[in-house]
Amino acid sequence: MGNTVAVLMRKAPYGSVYTAEGYRSMMGIGVFEMDLSVVFVDDGVYALVKDQNPAALEQKPLGDGFPMLKDFGVTRFYVHRGSLEERGLAPESLVMDVELLDDAGVAAVLASSGIVLPF
Amino acid sequence: MKIGILVLEGPYQHEAADSAYHFAQAALARGHEISGIFLYTDGVNNANGYIKPPGERNIATRFSGLAAQGIPVVACTACARFRGFRPDMVAEHVRLGGLGALADYLRQSDRFVTFGD
Repeated sequence: MGNTVAVLMRKAPYGSVYTAEGYRSMMGIGVFEMDLSVVFVDDGVYALVKDQNPAALEQKPLGDGFPMLKDFGVTRFYVHRGSLEERGLAPESLVMDVELLDDAGVAAVLASSGIVLPF
Repeated sequence: MKIGILVLEGPYQHEAADSAYHFAQAALARGHEISGIFLYTDGVNNANGYIKPPGERNIATRFSGLAAQGIPVVACTACARFRGFRPDMVAEHVRLGGLGALADYLRQSDRFVTFGD
């Protein structure tokens, strides 16, 4: 069955395991050649900010890993524009080029995915 | 209908693991098929065979029971390592496995439901 999966990234990195584990799940699922989209909303957009340095938290930076997911077949990255704007972030401050979506755009991506995995 | 289940939370702290179990029971009672239950992140703690709650529901036994019926219940191997799980601690009939199991359930399921916060 050709299920399409959207991984929905909702949470800020480092405060919980969800950003790191969402990332690992994309690698794990992507390598099995599933049709995968990634959608960043709310505090989830912080995961893509450039030059993260969580050394003081004794954690590894997460942002730089996302562009490398293309090696695992994960190429569709969407970011909710309103979530970026609410946080004073510009698309240029992100680690990679992404497609910006408005509310309806996010809803359409989720609706067109057979499965949504929320992290 | 084939339904897959992902559990992202451990036992007793919140209701997610209970809800996942009740959902699975209800789906089976309606004649649906569970393609698999993947216990991820803290969810692996639901498969700790040493869980012994005095006078309370045993969440590990519940997942064991589902697995004993032939429903694949897999706890993430890496997550288990991060949480100090030894392989002999895993509840009966539950297996440790990688994200390939999750990918399989995603692929096989008509619906896929996540329980977590």
